[in-house]
Amino acid sequence: MKRRAFTHLATAGVAMTAIGGVARAQVKEIRIIEAGGKSGESIDEYIKPFRTKTGINCVRENPNPLGKLRAMVESGKITACLFELGSDSAAQARGLKLIEPLDWDAIAPQPMFPEARTEFGLGYQYFSTVMAWRKGVKEPKSWADFFNTKDFPGKRVLPDYPQYCLAFALLADGVAPDKLFPLDVDRALKKLGTIKRDIAVLWKAGAQPPQLLNDNEVQYAISWSGRVAGQPKIAFTFNQGMFDLSYICVPKGAAKEERAAAMKLLHEMTVVQNQAKAAEVVSYTGCSPELEALLPKDKINEFPTTKANKSVQWQQNAEWWRDNGEMVDKKWEQFRLNL
Amino acid sequence: MPSRTAVGFIAPLLLLMIVVFDAPILYMLALGFWSKQGGFTTEHYGNLLEATVYLKVLASTLRISLIATIANVLIGYPLAYWMRSLSPRAQLVAIALVITPFWVSILVRTYAWIVVLGNGGIVNSALINLGLIDEPVRFLYNELGVTIGMANVLLPFLVLPLFAAMLRIDNRVLQAAASLGAPARTIFWKVFFPLTIPALSAGALLVFILSLGFYVTPAILGGNRVSMVSNLLDKLINEIPRWEQASAISTLLLIVALAIFAAYRHFDRRVQS
Repeated sequence: MKRRAFTHLATAGVAMTAIGGVARAQVKEIRIIEAGGKSGESIDEYIKPFRTKTGINCVRENPNPLGKLRAMVESGKITACLFELGSDSAAQARGLKLIEPLDWDAIAPQPMFPEARTEFGLGYQYFSTVMAWRKGVKEPKSWADFFNTKDFPGKRVLPDYPQYCLAFALLADGVAPDKLFPLDVDRALKKLGTIKRDIAVLWKAGAQPPQLLNDNEVQYAISWSGRVAGQPKIAFTFNQGMFDLSYICVPKGAAKEERAAAMKLLHEMTVVQNQAKAAEVVSYTGCSPELEALLPKDKINEFPTTKANKSVQWQQNAEWWRDNGEMVDKKWEQFRLNL
Repeated sequence: MPSRTAVGFIAPLLLLMIVVFDAPILYMLALGFWSKQGGFTTEHYGNLLEATVYLKVLASTLRISLIATIANVLIGYPLAYWMRSLSPRAQLVAIALVITPFWVSILVRTYAWIVVLGNGGIVNSALINLGLIDEPVRFLYNELGVTIGMANVLLPFLVLPLFAAMLRIDNRVLQAAASLGAPARTIFWKVFFPLTIPALSAGALLVFILSLGFYVTPAILGGNRVSMVSNLLDKLINEIPRWEQASAISTLLLIVALAIFAAYRHFDRRVQS
């Protein structure tokens, strides 16, 4: 067995040398920093085939704040060669020069949605921000309903992240999804101000909205789809929801050998069969356009990228947030003070 | 000259303190004057004045800390006073009860309040079942929730020094006042209370300064609707990440805390003399 593993490693080594021209096969373990929760667990479905093929183990760590990446890169101690970042954080990290380009030749990806393949990151997981409510209350059909607290009475829980919140206020105010950006921040905050009495909580952790809905602390929520999908007491809709991508990136200065190994893990993330297994762990979906056929039929409505669901949603504009995030955050802070 | 050997023994500890504690603080202070290009700048402090929202968050932090401190004094003083009147054995039990929550993780304690004070929590269901209220009282996700949570966490910091000071008060002093014909109320306000002021103010100061840095309680029990400086710093450090701005705000917070401490020292010295 040991011997086999050795030949395996040796072969991999030769292959990597051929591709990268630098790799040595001493890497036994690489690390990935991911977002945690079920989403983090789903990454195991990519690690398993990677481990079988390469004999290299991959250890998961979480959570993944941008500050951790900055600390890692600025200290020069790159402890993890892969780092998961939401689309806006990925755009920011790129602006701050904290990540380096991927080696797409080494990844040799299987078919993937175009927006998932970028120079600096592989969009490995789609997640949506949607409206959800406790079963039994009046069902909102649109964001206008969600923001109409008179006809849809009940407490709301919203994200304490303007990038997952403000655009919905504009949709409620009559802005068309394709006209959202550049975002009219003041108009959005004004609209939010009209329901501030009914905003019970601003959430930081994705686990909070389902918890608060289940406890009947709030009746309506803006939540990540995977957190409310499959919850018996909660209903939600992808209608007018926002789909977004989580990217896997390589921190600047990662060791070459580890980096080469990491590309092989990234390859596994584009394999549709692996994505189907990951989708069983969490109802977020991978980047393959062919994934829909492999998803469980009874839960097909829970996934962000099925044709029916993706077509009624719009995509987050990470570049806009990268350029304007700081300005918005000050206004958001001010808004919170007046709650 | 025992001091030379003493210095030798203590030097490793001093070195450790300087390297792992003082140097990072200096680095943090310096970061606030660091520009993106790598030179000296005061723009991060300029930002504080320009975008007044940071100062407002600081003001909100001071206000909530003050409320929490007052709540602590109102609960803690009578508690310590009552403990003084107990028998020595009962005092031990009371101290144990005050200290026990100290050993429970602050996260657990904070989440426990959700179970107790939530809309479907013990307190609200009891009040509704008793017919005292029709709709649940909103204890949580506002300043009330934050104040309750902070008072709970910080109470031992006030009660323990206060109780220790009260025990040291000589009963004969109080008896002397009584023998001169003073009623109980006068004895308390003219004799007992003034003797506890130093411990009370020291305890209150400790509680106030600890309050300034609270993070978990406002995040959980305030539902993020209550702005405090630690939560703002978390955002600037972890999410944005604008460490330079965070450094400027931290420095300002440090200055405020030191100023309050200096004011206390000044006041304390006047009381002593």
